[in-house]
This record gives sequence, C-alpha cells and structure tokens, in this order.
Amino acid sequence: MSPAARVATGLPANPLAGRGLRLAAAAIVVVNGFFPAVWILLTSLKTETELVRKPITYWPRNLTLDNYLRAFTDQPLLRFLGNSLAVALASTALSLVVAALAAYAIARLNLRRRQLILTAIVASSMFPLVTLLVPIFETMRALNLLNTYTALVLPYTVLNLPVCTLVLASFFEGIPRDLENAAMIDGCTRVGALWRVVVPLAAPGVFTAGILAFVNAWDEFLLALSLNANASMRTLPVGITLYQGEFTFPWPTISAALVVAIVPIAVLIALFQERVVGGLTQGGMKG
Amino acid sequence: MQRFRLAFAALACAALAIAAVAPVANAATTLRVFSGGANQRPDLMRKLFDQYEAAHPGIKIDIETGGATSELQRQYLSTVLNAKDSAIDIYMIDIVNPAQYFGAGWLEPLDAYIGKADAVMKPYLPVYLQADVVDGKVAAMPGFADAMFMYYRKDLLERYHIAEPKTWDELAAASKTIQAGEKNPNLQGLSIQGAPIEGAVCTFLLPYWSQGREFNDASGKMTLDKTAAVKGLDKWLAMVDQGVIKRNVAEVKTPDTVNEFKAGQVIFAINWGFAWDRFQADKDSTVQGKVGVMPLPAMAGGKSATCVGGWQWAVSAFSKNKAEAAKLVQFLATPASSKFLAIEGSLLPTYQGVYVDPDVVKAVPWFKDAANVVIAGKNRPMSRDYGQVSDVIRTTTSAVLARSRTPEEGVAEIQSKLARVMR
Amino acid sequence: MAILDRVRDPGERTLAVVLLAPAFALLALIVVYPIGRIIYQSFFDARLSGGHGHRFVGLDNYRIAFHDTEFWTATWHTVAITLITVPAALVVGLGLALLANLPFRRRWPVRLALLLPWAMPLAFAGLIFAWFFHTEYGIVNDVVRRLGAGGEPTMWLLRPGWAFAAVCVTIVWKTSSFMALILLAGLTMIPRSLYEAAEVDGASHFQQFREITLPMLMPSIVVALIFRTITALQTFDIPYTMTRGGPADATETLAMLIHKTTIDYLDVGYGSTLAVAMFVLSLAVTTVYLRRLARTP
Repeated sequence: MSPAARVATGLPANPLAGRGLRLAAAAIVVVNGFFPAVWILLTSLKTETELVRKPITYWPRNLTLDNYLRAFTDQPLLRFLGNSLAVALASTALSLVVAALAAYAIARLNLRRRQLILTAIVASSMFPLVTLLVPIFETMRALNLLNTYTALVLPYTVLNLPVCTLVLASFFEGIPRDLENAAMIDGCTRVGALWRVVVPLAAPGVFTAGILAFVNAWDEFLLALSLNANASMRTLPVGITLYQGEFTFPWPTISAALVVAIVPIAVLIALFQERVVGGLTQGGMKG
Repeated sequence: MQRFRLAFAALACAALAIAAVAPVANAATTLRVFSGGANQRPDLMRKLFDQYEAAHPGIKIDIETGGATSELQRQYLSTVLNAKDSAIDIYMIDIVNPAQYFGAGWLEPLDAYIGKADAVMKPYLPVYLQADVVDGKVAAMPGFADAMFMYYRKDLLERYHIAEPKTWDELAAASKTIQAGEKNPNLQGLSIQGAPIEGAVCTFLLPYWSQGREFNDASGKMTLDKTAAVKGLDKWLAMVDQGVIKRNVAEVKTPDTVNEFKAGQVIFAINWGFAWDRFQADKDSTVQGKVGVMPLPAMAGGKSATCVGGWQWAVSAFSKNKAEAAKLVQFLATPASSKFLAIEGSLLPTYQGVYVDPDVVKAVPWFKDAANVVIAGKNRPMSRDYGQVSDVIRTTTSAVLARSRTPEEGVAEIQSKLARVMR
Repeated sequence: MAILDRVRDPGERTLAVVLLAPAFALLALIVVYPIGRIIYQSFFDARLSGGHGHRFVGLDNYRIAFHDTEFWTATWHTVAITLITVPAALVVGLGLALLANLPFRRRWPVRLALLLPWAMPLAFAGLIFAWFFHTEYGIVNDVVRRLGAGGEPTMWLLRPGWAFAAVCVTIVWKTSSFMALILLAGLTMIPRSLYEAAEVDGASHFQQFREITLPMLMPSIVVALIFRTITALQTFDIPYTMTRGGPADATETLAMLIHKTTIDYLDVGYGSTLAVAMFVLSLAVTTVYLRRLARTP
C-alpha cells in the first residue's frame, strides 16, 4: 500500500501489512485457533472404536450423531449450560461494575498509596486456588449459600477483580481528561462523568475485561466442584467430567458435550466483538 | 454508544436477577448419601435405597453423585470433610481410603452400632479385615468388590492350541507365537496400565507379588524385597523389548486397554472387573464371545496374585444421624444387597458364598471364574498415608516403564521415600 | 450508580474511599479469611491422616521446604515454564493482535480463531493436546509419518525434555489468546491521527510500529504480562492433565506439588507453607511490574 493510500484510509501501521504475508499469517492463525475445536467436532461424530484405529483417521468413517444424543440424555447438559451462563454472566457484570469503580480511583484520583492498593487487589490472585478451597467452602456454608449461584458468583467476581481492575485502569488512563472535564462542566458529577464518558470511551477495554471475566468464570472447575455439588446446580466444566467414569473416557461423547459448550459461546463473543466493539471504536477514537 | 450502554445495563440486570436457591427443608430423618460416580452405579444404589425406605418408614434417603473418578471424588471429599461438613451422612469410598480418612478423624467407628471388628468382618472376603478395620475399629463396610483380571482371547489361544499360561514367561511365549501367526503389526501380546494412574500401583505389585513376596506386613510396616521388585519391573521391560507389551506402555490408561482389546488389538489384557461387560456387551466390541478370564500368571516358582479394589460404605464423623446411618450401611453390606448388585449390575460380591449362589451364577456366569481370582486377591499397601504410598509407587513405576529411570533406581526411590511413611 | 450520583462531587479522598469500597468489601468477604488461614496453618504440623493433631511448629515447615529437593525442582520447573511461556505468549499474542486488527473484509474468522483457544476449558485443552502428542493416536506423529520420516515414532510425553516442551507449547497455544485479547483492545485505542502524521513524515512501517504502536501499547502489555506471569507461576491444569508431572517429576510444577500435598497427602500445614512460598515468589515478580504501573500518572 502506498503512503498516499495509507493516509487516505488512515490505517494503523502494522509490520504485517504486505498482502500475501497478511493472508498467510491469517491462515496460520485460523488453522492454529480452529484446529483443536475442529478436531473435537470431528471426534464427536466418530465411534469410540474408531479412535484406536491405526493409522489414525481424520474424517469420521461411520458418521454418527449418537454422541450428541448421549451427551444430552446421559446428563442434563442444558441445565449445566444454563447454570454456567447464569453464573458467568452475573459474575462478569458484577466484576465489571466493581472493577470500573476501583479502576477509576486508581487511574484518576491522586492516591498516595497507589502501589499498595494495586498490590492488595492483585495479591488476592497469587495463592493457588486449591489451598483457598476449604476456607471459601466454610465461608459459603456460614452464609448458607452452598449450592446457589451466589456461592460461585462471589468468588468468581473476586478472582476476576484483579484482571478487570488493571485492564480498565490502563484504559481509563488513556482517555483524555479534557473530555471528562467537559462533561463535568456540562453538569455531570464525577461519577456521572465516569459512567457517561469514561466507560463508553474505554469500550474496548470494558469488553476485553468482560470477555476475560466471562471466560474465567465459564472455565472454573475446583470451586464449582466443591461449592455446588447438587446435581441441579452443577456448571459445565464439572458437568462434562461426569461423562467419564472411573475406568472410562468416552472421548466422542465428551467431545459432543464440549462442542455444545464452547462453540456457541465463542461464536457469540466473536460476533458481538465484531459488531459492537468494531462499531464503537470507529465512532469513539477518531483522535 | 447506545448499544454498548444497553448491553452493559443488560449484564447488570442479569447480575441482580440472580437469586439464591433455598436448601431443601428436612421432614423426617433424611440421610444424605454420597454414592460415587457413574461407574459406581448410583442408579442401582438408588434401587437399594428404595428397598430400605420401603422397609423403614420415616427414613428418606437423598443421593448425591460425585465427580466421575475417584480422583475427582477425593478432591471433593477432602474439601467437604476437611471443612467438617455435616450435610452428608454416608460416603461411598474407594477401598484404599478408609485407613486415610479414618486416620484423619473423618469416619465414625462403627463398632458401637454394628459389633466388634473380628466378628463383623468374618463373613466377608478376607481382604476386608485389613482394608476396613483400622486400629482395631470398623472404619467402613464392604459395598462391592473389584479386582484386576487377566482377560484373554479364547479364540486365538484355541486357534494356536495354547493352554492358559501359568507363568509370565509362558504368557510372553504364547503372545509371540500368536503375534507371529496373525501377522498383524497392531496386535499386542499383553496390555497393562503404565500411565501414572492408580492402576499403575497394581502394575508394580502384580509381578512382585507373583514371586510370593509381600510389600508390607500386617502392621503396615514395609517389607519390600528390592531384588524381587527389580525383577518384577525387569519382567515388564523384557516383554516390551520382546514386542509383547507396546513401547509406549507408560502412556496406557485403563480405558486404552479396554478400547484396544475391544477393537481386537490385544491378546492378553489386565484390567478391572467392569471390562468384562464392555468386551461382551458393547455394541462396538469386535470380541464378543471370544473372551476368557484366567488367574494372573506367576513368576516361575511363585504364586498367582491380583490386586483387589472395590467400594466401601462409611459413616461421616460429622453426621447428625450416625445411628440411622450405621443401620443403613449395615443393610447395604448384607449378602442380600451384595447379591442384588451382582445380579442387576454385575458388581463383584463381597461374600465368597454369593459367587456360587445359583441365581448369581445364572445371571453372571463368568463370576464362577472370577471367584478364585478375587479370593486370591491382595490389598494394596493400606496406610494412613496411602496418598503418598500410591503417588510414589505409580509415579516411579510409570517413569521406569518410560525408561527415564532404571528399575534399580526406581525401586531405590520407592524404598527410600516410603521407608519413612510405612513404619 | 444513582446513589453515588447524589453524592455531588465529594472530595478526592472520600471519593476514593467510596469507589474502592465495593472491591475491598468483596475481597474482605471472600479471600481475607482464606489467606489468613493459609498463613496461620503454615506454622502448624497439620498432617490430617497421620493423627498427629494440630501442633504449632513455628518455622519448621519452612525449614523442611528449604531442604526439600522436590520443592526446589518444582519451583525450578515453574520458573522455567514462566520464563519460556510468558515471552513466547507475548510475541505470539502480539502477532495475533496485530493480525486481528488488520482491515480484513471479514474479521470474524481471525477473531474467532483468537477466541477459541481461550474458550476451551483448561483441563480439556490439556487432554486434547496430550492426545495430539500421543505416540500412536496423536496427529503430531501422524504428520511426521506422512512426511515420510521413518523409524520408531517419538514418544513425546514420555521423554523428559520433549514432555516439558509439549507442555510449554500447549500453554503458549492456550494463553496467547489471553495476551492477544488485551493487546487487541489496546491497539484499537491508538488514535489513527498519529499514524497519519507519521506517514506524512515518511516513517516506514517498522518505524511506525516501534515509535507509535509499541509505546502506546505499553500499558496494555504491562497489564497482560502481570497476569500472564501470575498465572504462569500457578501453572497446574495443563501439565496435570497432559503428563501428571511425569515422566517421574520432569514436568511437576509448584502448584501441582501443592495440590498433591493438600489433596492426596492431606498435609495441610506443609501445603499452606508451599502456598505462602508461591505467594512470595509471585509478589516478588509482580512488584517490579506494579511499580511501573503505579508510577504512570
């Protein structure tokens, strides 16, 4: 692309700008990202004995949908999905709100003990979860919250707080103070300005923090296993392990469950990101 | 901007809409039972509970199924029990756990409810006296048994006129003959589990025991004969070199053995009792009707031995209904329950007599072959520190089979690490 | 929000307290007690199954750890995994982010490719990659075979060096998504006018990348590095599901040792001690980053 064309389109400079190089790189990324998911998809269409065939097969020899049937009938997969969705959405929303407030204080206010505050927030994620398990279990039992969504929403929010706070703080810092001041002159309070100006302008950061929080909550296993042991309250990662047995590991059925679990979510997030974030940034940061 | 704010608001609403689900209120005496994962057949246990509920009005039994593997169950149970939780009254636990859990003070001694240990354990298979009695107290009651069996391809042995091998060397020779005759490069002679899973503890013990040696004495003190242990591991490695066991044996887990045997790629396979039904009844099995079970071979001059497994019922030390819970456990460990589980789910009986019960033999004919194997079975080294014992043995065995340790190094490691624990 | 709106322009100090209160309230509710308990227990002999009871032993557990070769081996593996996978994930993640930020007509394939590894539950990512590296049923060896390499297939997960490499590859695959997501958001915040000005000045693409993109991206890079480093120091699921720490202890990390000590050995006191050691290690490493973050006005 010539410099003139570049100015016209106003594209960010990028070392991966050559067209051929760009497509090749994109192809590698797509294959690398999709491959395990596609592998799972193909496995979900195979029978278990096909997996011990040598040499291995890629395309299923006897295409079967039985595994999906089994995935839905052996365990209440939709229930797991609903539980995971509820827990992940709620903790994401809660983390974003709490983190946005804290991040604003860290990014904008004249705090004398910034590093201490930052460290205190981040330090909470430096202990291995397995050692926190028993005391968190005791806390939730004392609050009579075991086997409720709240039992997971609260710890997940805390676990996500550090990453959300730092991501948001780094984005808030990038927003010119003038914009905020202008809003305050227009009669907004400071918190109002945070809500109406800073958060929307930091949209890519907010969405990134949201995605990170969502996926972290979606993935979490240890707490979900111990705090919500009631069959009807299980989340997906725990639920999917129920397809295996003491001595059995039916990959095809597990794959089917994984496909149901991850593909729709990933597609949704990607579309959401493309539509909403893409649209927003074009409007927001013309600079 | 508008869209974004709407989305954000929607998320916030979702957060607020989350309401707590209230725990179910107790009516009469409700016993909550943790009954393992899918392989421990909670569906059948439920039927037993239904029988008990019908005979005991006022008792309601809730079932809680746990993680699917004993590893996930351990993870869950160690959290719940460590937090001294009273929500669960009865636990179904792996045969290797009573000593550890009783030692931690998590299990209620059942003597006061059921009777003295010796008398209580007398009717059961001999292994339970050691597994379920800790410090002279009844820590748990036998639910159903399991054992490592030697499965083999009857059709192939018949085709080559080979008798059931009695020693490991005979087994290796038989495998070589059949492998040479079948000309199938994917046909394995023997499949054992070499991945660092619980089964690898048995993989270590089987050739060792089959020389007539013991890993520990009755008091739990380690009596490892290093020469015999090295010889046992050498036997596996020799079979790998001969092409009888596959090279990547240190990658093999329990389901791999089952699936490869089902696909007709294995002549001899060591596996737990559940495998029989998979071989004979699974739709995609290629070996239906071609499977035999025999006692495990021994080292020349030694005697056949196998690893016993299975599941136990125990009453939580934190239960608020211990007496009622103990009664239920007693019911679950009766010959009638054992027979029910054998007939309905081919779960191995805990009483010698049930193996030869006419109804059982009719429903599960292979149990008459299984009986001798189970009766000759041995316990893994039961210890309060079984967690360490198991970890050290399986990790080292797997490393030896992967050839990142020599058998001598491996055995020395087991000796030095466990000498402190098992004294 | 409405409640806060009513507090019209409070002073900086009050505002700071109000804004930070929810975060610290949650921290207090959920993690303060557990962390306190870990530290407390690290001074006790709390082997649950040994029947030793709960005995105060002062710094004994720390002394034991200091002489425990397994602890040092696991720590070394953890540090090595961190030193290898964090920079690798940063480079790969930066590449992914730059690519995803290009004006393809359809961005979703690249963005989805970027998200899928992140959306794959950790434990299953480990299992799937263990399968890929399996001697007989793995595609790695299948590809090697198709390329015509003769001889016996390599047993990737059974050779200490290869197993370690396989674990690292899997971690990079899984975590570069996380890096890329944060960096991508950072990229979209760089004002285009900067590049337009640079074009006019005749700066090359590489110069623009070095002079504009990298410096403007620094805050995002630091944030991504902090968390990638903390999570790398806690590496557990991937080696646990791929190798169980094997062969022998070739891929055992600190978090795996803590898990084993706490759950399998039921040695709560020593497990807590190791957890404190991990905390100190993480804190030491992240303090460097945090100081940098705190300094930027």
